[in-house]
Amino acid sequence: MKSRFGAIPAADISADQAIPPAEIAVAPTTLEEASEALRIATERRMKVLIWGGGNHQGYGHRVHPDMVLVTTSLNRVEVWEPEDLTIVAGAGARVSQVEEMLADERQTTLLPHSSPTATIGGALAAGLSSYKRYRYGPSRDRVLETTVVTGDGRIVRSGGRVVKNVTGYDIPRLMVGALGRLGLIGSVCLKLIPTPAAAVTVSVDDPAAALAVLYRPLAVLSTPSGHSAYLWGTQAEVESQASRLGGEVQSGHAWPLMRSRPVAWSLRLPPSRMTEGLERLPDSWDYVAQQGVGITECVADQDEIGAASELRGWAESVGGALVLTNGPETLYERIDPWGTPPAGLEYQRKLVAGFDPYRVLNGGRLPGGI
Amino acid sequence: MAATLTGSNTKFRDDLIRVLGAERVMDSTLERHLYAKDAGVYTGNPTVVVMIETTEEVAQVVRAARRHGIPVVARGAGTGLSAGAVPEVGGMVLVTTRMNRIEEIDTENRTAWVGPGVINLDLSAATTPFGMHFAPDPSSQSACTVGGNIACNSGGPHCLSEGSTVNHVLALEVVTDTGDVMIVGSGAPDPIGLDLRGILVGSEGTLGIVTRALVKLTPNPPDVRTMAVAFPTIEDAAATVSGIIAAGLIPAALEMMDQLMMQAIENWLHAGLPVEAGALLLAEVTGVTEAVAAEAEIITSIAHGNNALSVQVAASPEEREILWKSRKSAFGAVAQAAPDYYLHDTVVPRTRLVEAMRQVYEIGERYEIIMMNVFHAGDGNLHPLMAFDASEPGRLDKVKAAADELVELCVEKGGVLSGEHGIGIEKRHLMPLLFTEMDLDAQARVKEAFDAEGVFNPGKVLPEGSRCFDFGRPVPEGAWV
Repeated sequence: MKSRFGAIPAADISADQAIPPAEIAVAPTTLEEASEALRIATERRMKVLIWGGGNHQGYGHRVHPDMVLVTTSLNRVEVWEPEDLTIVAGAGARVSQVEEMLADERQTTLLPHSSPTATIGGALAAGLSSYKRYRYGPSRDRVLETTVVTGDGRIVRSGGRVVKNVTGYDIPRLMVGALGRLGLIGSVCLKLIPTPAAAVTVSVDDPAAALAVLYRPLAVLSTPSGHSAYLWGTQAEVESQASRLGGEVQSGHAWPLMRSRPVAWSLRLPPSRMTEGLERLPDSWDYVAQQGVGITECVADQDEIGAASELRGWAESVGGALVLTNGPETLYERIDPWGTPPAGLEYQRKLVAGFDPYRVLNGGRLPGGI
Repeated sequence: MAATLTGSNTKFRDDLIRVLGAERVMDSTLERHLYAKDAGVYTGNPTVVVMIETTEEVAQVVRAARRHGIPVVARGAGTGLSAGAVPEVGGMVLVTTRMNRIEEIDTENRTAWVGPGVINLDLSAATTPFGMHFAPDPSSQSACTVGGNIACNSGGPHCLSEGSTVNHVLALEVVTDTGDVMIVGSGAPDPIGLDLRGILVGSEGTLGIVTRALVKLTPNPPDVRTMAVAFPTIEDAAATVSGIIAAGLIPAALEMMDQLMMQAIENWLHAGLPVEAGALLLAEVTGVTEAVAAEAEIITSIAHGNNALSVQVAASPEEREILWKSRKSAFGAVAQAAPDYYLHDTVVPRTRLVEAMRQVYEIGERYEIIMMNVFHAGDGNLHPLMAFDASEPGRLDKVKAAADELVELCVEKGGVLSGEHGIGIEKRHLMPLLFTEMDLDAQARVKEAFDAEGVFNPGKVLPEGSRCFDFGRPVPEGAWV
């Protein structure tokens, strides 16, 4: 067995101490190598955990892998067409490095990259969007093409490298938030957004009033210490919008930074329920709430399962969810990270079976243990 | 004519009448003929046409159809152009136009629950008093339904800035292949699990029947500026489009039309279009007044740098409306050139626009077809329109051959088969141009996951035999140790 895997260079692997123990770790440098690794894993019915920067492994049920497939060597930026506002990059490319490159032409993927090691594949697999979502929509809306390696090692390309496309089923969109259950996102084409000239942050007293008076701000965020509106655009536009708010104006975007704590939750609500949601948060939790979007990211020192369950019950009753996104392993044994599974589970299960027939890839991570 | 509801099908007919009553189950020759086509050039042959009013009715007739082995083809207003709603192999055409209730407008969350039969423009009209609209705006928006928009993931001029229909659908109520009802997606962001909502939008009625939708509404912009810029050539107009995108602007819309199209429109609309010019660029910027003014200035200066002949700014809402009317009614104006038309839809990377357009005209000359163009330049979404007379023997075949060649040239340039019309029957044979056997097999697996028995819209989107890829070596557990 070792000799077969020997064909796959395994550089970089030992450097990352956070990778969980497994029989073997592989770091394919091409999709063909990834395909070979997954075919072997399928033949041997091994459980494979996909690992990028290790930043979003708290999403979903825990996996105890036989093989860890590290994506960081699939990190090539294949194509960047600044005039088309598109980029094709490997899953293991770091968002921070890609953003640095794109900044030269004042463009952005809008993917979140609070951690320098976060990868494009990881952010998309976890279904993450940045704070700029109020204005630009979720990351899912900008995934134009994916090339994935399915659980049984097929290399499948879907979508296309143009900004508008209805050719075939929208598999690229389905890959976002699928936590690797439908395949390893090998490479992805993203629609880029031009970065405007001016940016300011304005402190506000009433987030609802700020949203009402502004036309499509970048974001209005609330934290325990206050509320801020984030504006982006031409100098004239930003000045005019800021003057409507009347608060203290700071040049640039002062994004809130939450101190990392052992437990993290994502509260997702219809936007109109956010005020009530914030009132229901346990006092000890720190949070950043995306007003108008409906997402509140929370961190806590303790499990507080009782309080979390109560909050989850209410969130689900109004059509939302409370998702555990990080915590000690024991917490995942005591509380379902997702809560009540969504409708259509049998169709989710059948979709996964079509892409990973032998339950090799990240098995069980999705809601309902899919 | 093929199948009618006689013989073994009479039991199916009885089942349908029991659910819907006799007057909503239509199978006379005339009725079946009326629902045999969409707005494109393909014709099918419905076995029966049913007018549906409730979700429960959809569930019951789908169960009946499945029991009797009859295909189900959903249909809205029939404005589709790729034959997605054409019952090619017969079957039950399920018409959703009576499910046209706007059930609830939630002004706080900017959403609405609507029936699939709601007409696109009616939804925007109903939400105008609240300062909102439904962003997808296909040219057929005064007739097409939201259900049809969802099936095709429709676009429109303003999808340059707002994205296609899928960006504006939050949740769907769906009748599944088993005749069960499920709601996928949510009014809260990032619903947990796989994004079934996202895969259902644009699936052309092949995965399920949408019976209600929770759509996102978009706030009306405080200010808008619409400009009509005339250029001596298509190349100059296309260079302006590239220049605008490269300058970091994403206007609300960037539409282009060529001289032939301008002349056709001007002849009946008298909108004052600059018919002597080689091309017209319709650019619209929206936002706060300061942004609109600044962006309009940038666009004007880029246009002048590319030989613009004139820049006309709509001075009033009426002037803006007439400019948009000229754009959106373009296809009706074609009747004066020839009795029939084939409206195409392909996409190229926007930087390849000029060379693609040059080749579009070459193909027109070679096939002796009048090629008129009005299209979403900002997205690289081409809409060559081929005017012809279908009564001339062999003419339609020639048009179809030219259409295929157009797709081939776009794919060669890194483009795709369709930007907003869908694949349907029209382009499924071209899918292998873009996808490998393995890619198509994966798409066929999506179909299989939702509809293994092929109840919904059989034969659409994927070419026959897509799900036949025998992948590599067999993998029996324990066989390899």
